[in-house]
Order: sequence, then structure tokens, then C-alpha cells
Amino acid sequence: MSLKKNFASRLSLYVLLISAGLMLVVTILFGLFSSSAMRLESRAVAERELDNAILDIEKVITEVERTVDNLDWVVEQHMEDESFLYLVTREIVTANPNIIGSAVAFEPGFYKGRQYFSPYTYIGDQTHEVHSIQMGNENYDYPVLDWYQIPKLLNRPYWSEPYFDDGGGGQAMSTYSMPLHDDEGNFYGIMTADISLAWLSDRVDAIKPYPHSFTMLIGRNGSFIAHPDENKVLNETIFTVAMEMFDTTAVQIGREMLAGAKGMQRFSNRGEDSFMVYGPLSNGWSMALVCSYADVFRNARIMNIVLGALLFLGLIGLFIGCRRIIRQLTLPIVEFSNSAMTMAKGNFKAAIPEVETKDELLKLRNSLSYMQQSINEYIEELKSTTASNERYESELNIARDIQMSMLPQDFPQRDDLSLYAMVQPAKEVGGDLYDFVVVGDTVYFLVGDVSGKGVPAALFMAIARAAFRFIGALGLPMKEVVQRVSDCLCDGNTSEMFVTLFAGRLDLKTGQLDYCNGGHNPIVVIDPDGKASFLQAKPNLAAGLFPGFPYQDEIITLKRGTRLVLYTDGVTEAERVDKLQYGEEQLLAWAQRVSPDTPSNVVVSDLFTQVKHFTRGADQNDDITIMSLLFK
Amino acid sequence: MNVTITEEGAKALVKLEGRLDTTNADQFQKDIQPLMTGSHTEIDMDCSDMEYTSSQGLRMFLMLQKTVSARGAKLVLRNMKPHVKEVFDITGFSHIITIL
Repeated sequence: MSLKKNFASRLSLYVLLISAGLMLVVTILFGLFSSSAMRLESRAVAERELDNAILDIEKVITEVERTVDNLDWVVEQHMEDESFLYLVTREIVTANPNIIGSAVAFEPGFYKGRQYFSPYTYIGDQTHEVHSIQMGNENYDYPVLDWYQIPKLLNRPYWSEPYFDDGGGGQAMSTYSMPLHDDEGNFYGIMTADISLAWLSDRVDAIKPYPHSFTMLIGRNGSFIAHPDENKVLNETIFTVAMEMFDTTAVQIGREMLAGAKGMQRFSNRGEDSFMVYGPLSNGWSMALVCSYADVFRNARIMNIVLGALLFLGLIGLFIGCRRIIRQLTLPIVEFSNSAMTMAKGNFKAAIPEVETKDELLKLRNSLSYMQQSINEYIEELKSTTASNERYESELNIARDIQMSMLPQDFPQRDDLSLYAMVQPAKEVGGDLYDFVVVGDTVYFLVGDVSGKGVPAALFMAIARAAFRFIGALGLPMKEVVQRVSDCLCDGNTSEMFVTLFAGRLDLKTGQLDYCNGGHNPIVVIDPDGKASFLQAKPNLAAGLFPGFPYQDEIITLKRGTRLVLYTDGVTEAERVDKLQYGEEQLLAWAQRVSPDTPSNVVVSDLFTQVKHFTRGADQNDDITIMSLLFK
Repeated sequence: MNVTITEEGAKALVKLEGRLDTTNADQFQKDIQPLMTGSHTEIDMDCSDMEYTSSQGLRMFLMLQKTVSARGAKLVLRNMKPHVKEVFDITGFSHIITIL
């Protein structure tokens, strides 16, 4: 099945295309809208997560700080008891799960004159066993280390930058140091608590609003305290990483983080469109949460794929459903088409399927039905018209036979006369006539043309011919003959019909010709030497117009070899399509070419052929009559 | 065949244009009906643009002539082209109808 040829499929396809287009537009708009909403949402989520994480870490830090802060008076009170000092550090480590090491480090020479004295308790990195040691010695000259020196100089508690402790803990850590003062306010040592960076990293790593987002913690100088990539911790700072990324935004972010700012920045994380939310901790550290948008939109993308698949399935369903419905709705059209085809093949009674809906289909059905009814009525009408036409035609054919049989066909076979004539009516019957009678050595002849054509002319012609039959051969002068024929025709002629005629009487012994022209065309005379001319005649009125009209005739003597050519105006007025008429000049020119001794039947058919040739197949618009009479 | 009739009091001026043959003789008969049934005392026909008349046409002129004569009115045909005039002459109609 071709999609193009099937209306239902084509329409469904259009519906499908339009629906798909609309859906596409809606989907794109929705996508744009939702992605921008999702972007905002993701930032809000990230900021919330970050705030929570900061609070979380802050809590740990505060706990560590408080633990140390709360115990400094214990150190002062039990300063004399060495073992107690060990106990204090041990208590701090064991009681606080966040603390992996704690020390009380005295100023050189302060504690009982010792250069180094620093009880220290820590949890082994691998063994998780608690050890207490005195960690100061020549190899571990703690008074020069940051965690000791800086709070001492600043004279306030201090969180060290992350470092790898090789004094005892043997792991990366950050140390909270609190300066100790005696009652007079003299500095005498530092009390510390260490937190493991690995542990901190684990805590920080747990913050994952999106599968691939990560959190990092940087110290005051930008070095990583916690980072998903452990290698970066202690070894790199946010600036070294930013430099590697060739992204000035990242450097900018680093600066703001160090300045203790809180904020959000979009940046390219090694080519990945990402954003970072960051905020400061109370101890001068800063925490940042990095999320890639790809991650943010990952679920949305999966949703989109699912949605797209569903839409695709929906569209296919729409197409199939549409096609089925349209096909069902247009089924009557197919049936109409079949009915119409049946009608076209000639079965005009073909049943037209019924339609139940009151819509355009019903209109179509009514139109078809009306058309069928009209055609059937027309056919019936045509049948009866045809039948009556056939009847008329057959009657006309009979009339034609009767009329033709009135015109004599038994042409005289004589040595002194060659006579031939023909009539070619324009319609089945016509108003032209000819007649001849040979009595002894005299021939009476006539050619006539009744005004008009068809049946009326034919009836009038029949009267004229009958009148001439009775009157013609009585031996009267031709003017008498024509007058009597005319009177005969006038009798009861209410329709003003008339007949133009040429009547003659030729004595074949003497050549004397008595003729009368009743309003007829001048006849052609061809002398024995071949010279042709129109025979002069006194003008008379056509016959049948006025009773008693005095007709005049002429009497001349013909030489043997003279030919008379009689005709009706169907010859001279034979027209071509361009209205050009055969005319008298052409007729005369033709007559000049006729050989003197040609038999009359040949002459007649030659002239008829000439006329037909001239009209070039144009419809014959008048009856044609030709008679040739050769006096030998 | 175009027939234009203009009336000037009791006089009818008629202009004939074109061919009068069997195909339009019936129409011509209808066209000149006002002249047959009218009460004009004089009918003046301008035939300068008449191209042809068939015997059927002659019959129409004859009928008109007879009707007009019967009510004592006058019919005149003017400016007839020579080849048309010839038809009237041959058939003897020139004797019955006044052709100027």
C-alpha cells in the first residue's frame, strides 16, 4: 500500500507530522524551562548540602576545640603529676572519636627543667591501638613546628595547616593548638588535639548531592585538607589545580575562598560545565562543593529519553488510530466511488450505499442519488425522443422515396435527344423538382425551385409537379402552361409559398424552342461550337404568387448540337465554409469546357462533382438540381 | 440578419444588415412581426447592408408586402446591393415590391 495513494494514510501522516511538530516544540520549550529550573534547583540543593556539611564539620571542629578548651585548667592543676598529664591526653583521645591524637607540649626548660617534655597520646594509623609517648627530643624539635610556634606567637588558639606528622601519629592531620598560660598569664606550653585528614576526607566525601559531585576542604593558604583525590591532600593547593585547568574562574574562586567569602561560581572543570558552591568555616578553612551540570541533568536526560520513547510510541499509536478512524469514516466515499464506477460502466440503477451520519457524506450521497435519478430520467427522455426521432426519420425516408419516385428516371433514348437530370435535396425531402415528357417528337421539360426547404417545400413541389404533368403536355404555349400551373398553385396558397421555374417545349424536328422563365435563374445555352451563355428571357413572376398573372414566353430556334443546362440556385449559391459562392461566372466557365457531344448524364454528374469539389465538404444548404438537354 | 426598427410617427424606418437565409428566416419573421401587426402607413427599409436573401427570405418580403398592402400602407426597399437586387429581378419580385 502506497502512503501517497491512500487518503487515510496521507491524512494520518499529516496529523502525525503536525502532532510531532507540536510535541517537539512543547518538548523543547519544556526542556528549556525545566533545565533552567533544574539549574536553579541544583544550586539550591548544592548550597543546602554545603551549609549542612559546613555545619557538620563545624560541629566536629567545635567539639575538638571545646574538648581542649575545657581541659586546660586540668593541666594547670595537675601539672606536677607526669602520669596524670599522660592520662589527660589519653582521656582526650579515647573519649572523643574525632580526635586521633592529643599532646601537652611544654616550653623548653619549663617542666622540671627539661628541654623537651610533651606527653602525647595517639591512635595508630593501622593498628587503631592507643599509644602514649613523650614525643619531644633532638630529632623532633617541636618548639620550632608550626602547630607550636604559630599559636604561641599569635597567643590564641590555632588550627594548623594540614601536615604529615612523623612525630608519632604517622599520618596526615590538622592540629588544634591552644596556648597555655599560668595564673600570671605567662605562656608555658601548648595543648593540642589532632584530627585525621583521612577521616575528615571520609566525612567530606560523604557529601554527594549528585553521583559525581565532590567536596573539598582547603586551608587558609589554599592547600587541600580534604579532597576526593588523596594525592592532592598536603601536596597541592587550589591554585596549582586551578592553574592546571587554565581557567581564570577557578583562580578567582580560590581567591574568594581564601578571603572567607561565600558564593557560587560556574566554571569549566577540565572542559566539563560545572558549578561550585563554597563557604568559610569558623577556623579560617573553606569548603567547596563541585557539581557538574551533566550530573545534574543526568536524571533529566534519562527522563527525556524515556519521554521521547513514550512520545514516539504515542505518535505511532496516533498514526495507526487516526488511519483506522479516517478509513472507517471515509469508507462510504470508497463505496460511493464504486457505485459511481458501476454507473459509469452503464448500470445506472446501481445501488448507492446508505449513510447514517448527517454530514457532508450525506450531502454527497444525496447529490449522487440526485444525479442518478436525473440521469435515469434523462435516459428515459432520450429513449422516447430517439424513438420518435426514429419514427420521423423513417417517415421522412418514405417521403423521400415517394418524392424521388415522382421525378422521372426513364430518360429518353433517342438519336436526336440526350436528356438527363438529377436532384440532390439538402434534407431528406426537398423543394426542387424537374420533369419531362416526350410526346411524339416534342419534349416538354421543367426545372423548378420551391421557396424554402424540407417537408413544406416538398408538399408544394408535389403539387407543382402534378400540375405540370397535367398541363405541360397539352400542347399549349409555354406562357399558358406556366400561368395555369401558377394559378393552380395560387389556389389555397395561404402560406405565400411559390416556385420559381423554367419550362420549355422543344420540337425535335425543327429545333423550335418555346420557353417561359417564371422567376427562375437564367439557364445556360451551349452552342454547337462550345460557346456558352445565359439564355435571355423575359422576366416573369415566380409561380404561385398572383392568380392570373400574365406570363410571357419566347420562341427561338436551336441548331442541332445545342445544349441547354438547367439548374436551381443550389448550384450557383453553393457555399463554402467561408461563405464564398460557386456563382454564375464559374458556372459559365465550366460550361465553356463542356465538349459538345458529351452525353447528358456525364455532363450532369460532372457539374455536380464540380460544385461538391468547390464547397469542400461544407454542409449543403440548398437543394441542387441539374438538367442537361442536348439537341442532336 | 439584424433588423433595427425606428419609428417616426406613422412611418417605420427599418435597417437590414447581413444575410437572410434558411437558418434565420424564422427569426426574421419574428423580427418583422411588429411591422405586420403594426399600423404604420409607410415602411421604409434600408437594404444597403443586406448581403444575401434566399427564396425563403423572398417569401417573407412577399408576406410583408401582402399584409402591408391589405391595410393600405406602403412598403419601400432602398439601396439594395446589385447582386441582391438581381434575385428580386429574376424571381419577378421587383414587379410586386417597390425597390428604389
